[in-house]
Amino acid sequence: MSRNLDLSRRALLATIGAGGVAALLPGCRSAVEQAGDAGAGTPTPGGVLKIAQAADISPKTLLSQNNPNMAVCRTVFNTLFEYDHKTLAAKPGLAESFQLADNGATVTLKLRQGVTFHSGRPFGAKDVLFTLDYLRKDTTSSQLKHVAKAIADASATGDGEVRLRFNHPVSNMFDLFEIMLILDSESIGDLEKGAKLIGTGPFAVDSYTPGSGLKLSRNEKYFKHRPYLDGVDISIITQSSSMLASLRSGNTHLALDMAPLDAAAVRNDPAYELVVADPHDSTFYLASNVKVAPLDRKEVRQAIAWAIDRDRVLKQVLGGIGSTSSLPWSPSSPAYDKTAAQSYHYDPAKAKQLIAQAGAAGVRLDVVYNAGLATNAAIAEIVQYNLKEAGLDAAAVPLQAADFQGKLTSGALPGLFVNGHGFGHLNPATLVKGAFPFNADRNASNFDSAEYKQLADTLWKATDDTARRAAAAKVNAFLLDEQFVSDLVVSAHTYAITRKVRGLAWSMFDYLNLDETYLAGGRP
Amino acid sequence: MIGYTLRRVPSALLVLLVASWVVFAILRLAPGDPAVVLAGPDPSPATIDAVRHQLGLDQSVWHQYATWLGGLLSGDLGTSYILGAPIGTLIGHGLGNTAQLAGAALLLAVLVGGAAGMALGTTRRKVTGQLLGGLVSLMYAVPPYVSGVLLVLVFAVTARVLPASGQVSVFDDPVLGAQYLIMPALCLALPAAAVIARFLAASMRRVLDEDFVATGVAKGISRRRLLWRHVLPNALPPVVTVLGIQIGQLLGGAIVVEAIFAWPGVGLLLLSGVLGRDYLLVQDLLMLAVTVFVVLQSLTGIAHTALDPRMRDQEGR
Repeated sequence: MSRNLDLSRRALLATIGAGGVAALLPGCRSAVEQAGDAGAGTPTPGGVLKIAQAADISPKTLLSQNNPNMAVCRTVFNTLFEYDHKTLAAKPGLAESFQLADNGATVTLKLRQGVTFHSGRPFGAKDVLFTLDYLRKDTTSSQLKHVAKAIADASATGDGEVRLRFNHPVSNMFDLFEIMLILDSESIGDLEKGAKLIGTGPFAVDSYTPGSGLKLSRNEKYFKHRPYLDGVDISIITQSSSMLASLRSGNTHLALDMAPLDAAAVRNDPAYELVVADPHDSTFYLASNVKVAPLDRKEVRQAIAWAIDRDRVLKQVLGGIGSTSSLPWSPSSPAYDKTAAQSYHYDPAKAKQLIAQAGAAGVRLDVVYNAGLATNAAIAEIVQYNLKEAGLDAAAVPLQAADFQGKLTSGALPGLFVNGHGFGHLNPATLVKGAFPFNADRNASNFDSAEYKQLADTLWKATDDTARRAAAAKVNAFLLDEQFVSDLVVSAHTYAITRKVRGLAWSMFDYLNLDETYLAGGRP
Repeated sequence: MIGYTLRRVPSALLVLLVASWVVFAILRLAPGDPAVVLAGPDPSPATIDAVRHQLGLDQSVWHQYATWLGGLLSGDLGTSYILGAPIGTLIGHGLGNTAQLAGAALLLAVLVGGAAGMALGTTRRKVTGQLLGGLVSLMYAVPPYVSGVLLVLVFAVTARVLPASGQVSVFDDPVLGAQYLIMPALCLALPAAAVIARFLAASMRRVLDEDFVATGVAKGISRRRLLWRHVLPNALPPVVTVLGIQIGQLLGGAIVVEAIFAWPGVGLLLLSGVLGRDYLLVQDLLMLAVTVFVVLQSLTGIAHTALDPRMRDQEGR
């Protein structure tokens, strides 16, 4: 039995009308307009820069160079010196000048006067000494710890002066001064908990909500009399596609390190710009655990280096950002050698022949990668294909990030592994003494060589250009021969920005520098 | 009644105790180490060992378990290994945000599902019925990670009327907060709305075939009055039961939606905890979920006993 209780046309229209009202509600005051206030023109002050990044900041690892902290390091804190990007000369930061003595084994730093922390406390020599002590602690993570540990004596020699005496001449001490954020000793406990991040930088932290983001506001007492911006909002957006959508919707002005495919979409859109950071310190590599057969044999590792199609990795995975290379150095490094960097190239026939000669044809090899990183997954697939082409039974094996990192640091990865490294762009000693894949004292490949240790030490202690270049050349020849790490592509960090973002800068360690950044149109 | 409640307490406590063992053991069995995550990108063994000692992870497993359980019993949830903040604060913040999202989604599911169910259950037009039926099927079939992306594409990227991601509390700024809330809530609500619509439509069709409706029509009661005062109240009970189940599914679906819209709720917190092997955070969140479930189950049992005399009699025997 049917009843005539059909929904009336009036009821239907009323429903549609209610829906329309609901749809208009957002128009009262737009969250989108708040973020993307339009305008163009001269560097006028004002506005809040909206930044999106994939991972939450990690207050406990502020003194090591890692991606989640790139946006807060140089916006909230300062370093002692800042490298000039072209000459690599040390420009003043919290230290105004330096004086070397004892053949480079002692340095005296003249500190800037009149600088205050965000808490209002004056910055001074004891803060530099405190940060050095903090960095040397076992619980503190830093790739430049080996430099800090080489300091035999550190003292305040005057009101604004610090003298550091090293055990021996150290070639990469200015890498330490560039990477080391000067921390506030009084709030260090709160800093580790993320409760207070107090520095001397252009912006002070208003609020930090773990997992959500930070709100920064201009430091009115900043010693450089900037910034232009009223503030910075940093949001954590874990999905790269959501980051892209946020950028396109006007919710975000700057997206840090989007996945290459999303970055390519930005590059093809005239409304946005994909800025490639010039340090080129984001290198992708394929490495071997040399304790696993047949990777314990140099000729097999060399064959693998010939097998990989680096051009394909560069074009298909990294969207053409960077350059292929058989060595870890970026063009800015004093160790960079253009000819040596192209020593290995894609030659599957040669790879197949070498593998057959080594009696390794058909051997099963796992190519392990961090499944949380789309870039590494795509590279591992190419590697798997190339190695099969060369006669090896290769299989790409994903591991969860925490599992991968644990096995990497304990040298327990079962064969080949794909990953990324930095530190190929500045002093070469920092790479061979501090970057884990290449660290001569201990590395993920379990590669232990007295010759390599000696080469690394010589490079570290070589303070004049001629000696450093000679040592670097020997390291290059050694790395090319041993191939415990086969570098593939030297790439770079990227910043996807809307066209209204101007004056963006970064340090040689890719710390975002917003001193001179402004939004075209400024304050609404 | 009091006796029944007291008899339930030991079994509830036993369930919580077993759950705490399982939660603790599962995390320890998973590969990965929070000390390695915290030790930075290129850590030395000394750094990893020092961090492990600082976190207390070099203690025996039993000691770690006892410390954690003791903390829980004294109301101290501990400190997140990775985020460094007190877990109580983190959960409080995340729970508030997830509650806003799930609450708004539930409201939308009831409104959209209710309207669609009523229309579907009462329409006599074949084409309208088919269109509505197709729409409801689509709402059910499209998972939140697809509808979320589509909504963002249409309303945030193309039309630019709603923010693509992020969150402002509706209690801090209702207008802005509502704008941030609409898309994730809608995305979360659509499958639940579809289920409600289907159940309501079926229930209404059943009630419409009842004799009292024919009597009402014969007595000349207006269509609207008959529908709202007589048909709907009789059609609702099975829908309310389904609604209860949907609340649980909304909370589960919130994990995916929170990731898409960068909504800082407990789902995102749990995800980051699992990825970073933040043992304490994940343990506390899972125990919270188990506790809520156990309490709700116990309350349901108590309510049934209170409402149904037969159950009271059974318990009394």
